Amino acid sequence: MSFEGWVPQINDYTSLREVVDFAFDYRGNTTVVKRDGGEIVGYIFNREADAPEAFIQLFDEQGDGPFTIPYRDIATIKFTGKDPAAGNSWKAWVERKEKERALRAAASGADRLGRDPGPDGG
Amino acid sequence: MSVPVSQMYTVASYVLQQKLRRRKRYPFVLMLEPLFRCNLACAGCGKIQYPAQILKKHLTVEQCLAAVAECGAPIVSIPGGEPLMYPDIDKLVAELVKLKKYIYLCTNAILLKEKLHLFTPSKYLTFSVHMDGLREEHDEAVCRDGVFDEAVEGIKAALQRGFRVTTNTTLFDGASPLRMREFFDEMMDLGVEGMMLSPGYSYSKAPDQEHFLHETRTNQLFSEMLSKPKRRWKFNQSPLFLRFLMGKKDFECTPWGNPTFNMFGWQRPCYLLQEGYAASFQELMDGTKWENYGKKSGNEKCRDCMVHCGYEATAVDHTFSSLKGFAETVSVTLSGKL
Repeated sequence: MSFEGWVPQINDYTSLREVVDFAFDYRGNTTVVKRDGGEIVGYIFNREADAPEAFIQLFDEQGDGPFTIPYRDIATIKFTGKDPAAGNSWKAWVERKEKERALRAAASGADRLGRDPGPDGG
Repeated sequence: MSVPVSQMYTVASYVLQQKLRRRKRYPFVLMLEPLFRCNLACAGCGKIQYPAQILKKHLTVEQCLAAVAECGAPIVSIPGGEPLMYPDIDKLVAELVKLKKYIYLCTNAILLKEKLHLFTPSKYLTFSVHMDGLREEHDEAVCRDGVFDEAVEGIKAALQRGFRVTTNTTLFDGASPLRMREFFDEMMDLGVEGMMLSPGYSYSKAPDQEHFLHETRTNQLFSEMLSKPKRRWKFNQSPLFLRFLMGKKDFECTPWGNPTFNMFGWQRPCYLLQEGYAASFQELMDGTKWENYGKKSGNEKCRDCMVHCGYEATAVDHTFSSLKGFAETVSVTLSGKL
């Protein structure tokens, strides 16, 4: 499951702390919406929920930073960037390899059928 | 065991110094990640899934050296990403050699042949080449055909020029003990100094989540693979760690043993889990709730982990914690019987 595209509403059911935790685990960029209406897009790499002044840290889209934003300034976090961890490269790779193996097996089977096995049975 | 005497002496004297100072927790190997960029996208890797601006960034040599000084570990492992893609890798290695740090430059070796001219052979520098088995298994693990052959070319070129070369192998479920034994023979035939083995860790961000080993299966695989080991097989790691993987020893994780530094800071709590970052090494050591990690803690993320970055430090510490531990290590090393 990927959070890509999720725009959470902070309310009684979804706390900011939870959303920050999900955003911290997310490997794509997010958009941090601040209480003053400002937005910053970037990769959240750290969060300290138990610090005296809870905060997140991020590098912005240009790679500049780190920028530190206190929890109290955050209205919500939107999961706007592509999730690079959501790929299925392994699955695609295994499927391709299995097809190749099947083709090779079929080819070698045909080869064996057409060859004289010799006096000791091959 | 294939570790040179000078390296063994350095590690032994460092560990004994820590014991004499009664340091409860001390680092053993610094995992220094100067970048996350890689020229492969292996299915079992959880290190490279980042947005583009993060993959383009890297640490400066000065940041790397400051981390090395802060940490103080005698061994510096440089993984990544692919460290040969780090633009200042030659400068970083030269500086670390000056500091007499034993360096394990962990590479997939695709770029090794063309970058060798940047380095000078030294007892302090080892190219630790990622090799997950024979050709078929390795190319499958790295999701690209031809990489095994490129790595072999790199290894041959490095050995020819007098560099120390080891291999590092991550094993996943489905690995064949017999094929692995053939792999050990092939690596020894190539002339590598030693081999490092570890079961894989199930990174939550790795694309492949189905092929990681669990403890019982790990014990079974390593027992079959390493039973009656050939005298010619050399392992560049603690023999007690190998015995642990075979189920012959029960160790607890030492999560602070291989602290990790990268562009985000000091990773909490270990190389494999990413639960936050400390701004300094001291903050990492003092501010991490270590009791929450390792098997005894009951943390489910640690339950099936038997990876070398958590347990090799335990094995080394065990060697120097008692005469029994020391005698066991010497006995296994001399007899070659795991």
